[in-house]
Amino acid sequence: MGFYVLSYLCVAVFILATGYRVYRQITLPVHVRWEIYPVQHETGAKVAYGGSYLEELNWWEKKYESSLFNELKYMVPEILFIRGLWKENRSLWRVSFPFHFGLYLMIATFGLLLLHACFILWRFPAFAEGGAIRSLLDGLIVFAGWIGLILGNIGVLGVLYKRLTDPELRDYSSFADYFNIGFIFLFFLSAFVACLLGDPFLEGAKAYTIGLLTGGHFPNPYVPGQSVPGRVAIVSASLLTAYIPLTHMSHMYMKYFLYHDVKWDDAPNRRGGSLEAAILKNLDLKPTWKAKHVEADGRKSWRDIASSAPKEMK
Amino acid sequence: MNKPRKPSDIAKPSPCLCHIESGELSPLPPPYEDFNQVTIPTLNPDKVKGIETSLDDTVAIGIPKPASREEEEALVRQFLSGLRKLFEKENNWTFLQPLLLSMEHCAKCQTCSNACPVYEMSGRKEIYRPIFRAEVLRRIYRKYFKPGGKIIAKLTGDIDLNWTTIARLAELSYRCTLCRRCATVCPIGVDNGLITHEIRKLFSQEMGIAPKELHEKGSVQHLRVGSSTGMNPLAVKDSVEFIQEEMEEITGYKVEIPWDVEGADILLLHNAGEILSWPENVGAFAIIFQAAGISWTLSSEAAGYDAVNYGLWYDDVQFSRVAIKHADIARKLKVKKILIGECGHAHKALTVTADRLLTGDLNVPRESAMVTLEDIVLNGKLHFDPHRNNFPVTLHDPCNVVRSMGIVEPQRRILRKIAPGFREMTPHGVENYCCGGGSGFAIMSGYNFAEWRNLVSSRKKFLQILNAFQGEPQETPKYVCAPCSNCKGAIRDIINYYHAEERSRLYYGGLVELIVNAMADMKKPIIRFGEEPSWKS
Repeated sequence: MGFYVLSYLCVAVFILATGYRVYRQITLPVHVRWEIYPVQHETGAKVAYGGSYLEELNWWEKKYESSLFNELKYMVPEILFIRGLWKENRSLWRVSFPFHFGLYLMIATFGLLLLHACFILWRFPAFAEGGAIRSLLDGLIVFAGWIGLILGNIGVLGVLYKRLTDPELRDYSSFADYFNIGFIFLFFLSAFVACLLGDPFLEGAKAYTIGLLTGGHFPNPYVPGQSVPGRVAIVSASLLTAYIPLTHMSHMYMKYFLYHDVKWDDAPNRRGGSLEAAILKNLDLKPTWKAKHVEADGRKSWRDIASSAPKEMK
Repeated sequence: MNKPRKPSDIAKPSPCLCHIESGELSPLPPPYEDFNQVTIPTLNPDKVKGIETSLDDTVAIGIPKPASREEEEALVRQFLSGLRKLFEKENNWTFLQPLLLSMEHCAKCQTCSNACPVYEMSGRKEIYRPIFRAEVLRRIYRKYFKPGGKIIAKLTGDIDLNWTTIARLAELSYRCTLCRRCATVCPIGVDNGLITHEIRKLFSQEMGIAPKELHEKGSVQHLRVGSSTGMNPLAVKDSVEFIQEEMEEITGYKVEIPWDVEGADILLLHNAGEILSWPENVGAFAIIFQAAGISWTLSSEAAGYDAVNYGLWYDDVQFSRVAIKHADIARKLKVKKILIGECGHAHKALTVTADRLLTGDLNVPRESAMVTLEDIVLNGKLHFDPHRNNFPVTLHDPCNVVRSMGIVEPQRRILRKIAPGFREMTPHGVENYCCGGGSGFAIMSGYNFAEWRNLVSSRKKFLQILNAFQGEPQETPKYVCAPCSNCKGAIRDIINYYHAEERSRLYYGGLVELIVNAMADMKKPIIRFGEEPSWKS
């Protein structure tokens, strides 16, 4: 039961930390535009060369449009295959891609395990032992799990090797960076060994996932900790789940904000619109910058200050 | 001399943290090999007495050294106070979200380094890496403002915070042109250029530290006198009157430049530097608009005849003041739109960045001149003889127009119509390289900064220009079209510095000059290559 408690706690930390990160982002004040082209949700031919709606005569008379299709066309290969790194930093991509894809496959495997657990618990009729759906799902779990573990181990060792041997990376790496890599390696290696030595069809993972959904009360539950590698895999996977949102590794999902709220945030401010309302709120904020030319005293608002010429030079 | 390897080296005292030795800069091809051994001239000891010079071979700001230990400590406290404010919405709503995201998610993969022309051309000097200065700020921030920061610092990279660190960081924020090529290639979306921008802001808005050319002689003068050039409304009117006469003499076309026309369709904002340094650009705009029957005006109100907004590069408060002034002038004139002339940073400042600042009737529509000119040129409003531009032409993409605004094709469609010898640089468009004069560098020349710019930050652009004209006979005049005043200034300086007019017959100018040069009803060419007219009348 102790393993399940640990897993629940770690998932709770993940949810809270991620929730806090997301909450903080969505409650930050609207910032000035700082997009950078190409903006991949641009429409038509413009997206191909990095053009924008600002290329159109009297652009403000037209409806602001963005293309979800163009955005997905860019984002899917970017997320799955790290296309940007492939283009700009090929030698790093060779280790970074298996590392990241291995992690994605682990997440996908966990998703499949959850699906498997739900089918079992709901006694889904088409999911009978030996049936086509069950066989397919079992096969997918084994395929995604094994490929993920192999890629993950290769990738994590590659990333570590690169950080240790490439002076460009080594001189900017800290203890925390090596700790993060070591931590992830611990999970990939222990899970790999656990599967290799006694559980090639990931039966332990399936049973543990069912146990997670039932608080360990399902008949014939898997008893965690039957092997040392299995125990380490469960503990390290749980702790990693809690740890990632506390570090810069949260870029896995915070990238959404980096792209959508900054890099591609090209929404124009229209009179009477919601953006204008947010800007008006910002202009009421009272800065306290100390340089004399700013002339902030904590009472004057941004609006007051921006509407005046500076009396002081410095 | 130290050879810095890590961000923490910035705190270690030494007379010069980074020196570029002879032969270390990226090599130039023939006939410019004689510049390959050239180094940045040594700073004159008399001129830099009492000035902080321990970063590298040049000085951009000229920060006075503190006179006592107490003063030093007070400056460190001021720095920390400013750093805290960068993360408060009351003080930095303008960039808080982008800053937080870029501060927290860098994976230190170094992909940005290969995209940076300053780092590459310097011979890959460590301190010029885009991540170097950003990482210094990240470490200081984590150490002083994160819970358990002093302990976390030991695990994530510690850095000593002392006067040396601060003074070098201030100078280092002026070794990046804010071209944001690094941000384009970052797989995560981290913007180390933005962090440089924020460092500059901290120093300006909290400590009153900024290069004179940008602040006292720049944005302050702009707001007080009317223009960063120092021209007041009377002087600008005089100068433009002179341009009208010049235009008739040069092209044989009589042009009237309208002032303060209430209700005009267009308020044209020029970088006032054009009026002084490139009057033919101002004249060419007037010829095109008059010939096309456009309803337009200039403004003679202080600040209304100078589109620049230097605050974009270093100070949000100064930026906001100038942007609001521009919009207010347009509002009072009741024009339908503001048109930004050939000035890259003014494009971005007023059209994009200030878009989240201007509300109500200050939100006057803003448009790039590239777009309006495309409409005039491609829709038959003027008649052209493209063979008048029968010389090799290449296009420089101003970062602020192209990468920051996505205005890429209008200027190209114009050139394809009026310049048969047009060819692209490699790379171009949103992947372009900065002219080396970005973020204020083009107007900064104190101490030996202009030499640093010509040798380091503009070097990539010079190589790109030479490559674009590869294979053209030496004696053929070649035109670099740079539709941005600061870019033109930087390109003018590299042409002069490397004697490229004599050695390669390189010339430069704007887009409107090429348009007017190809207009069928011009009696004389507006473009000349030295003494030689570009076509025979």
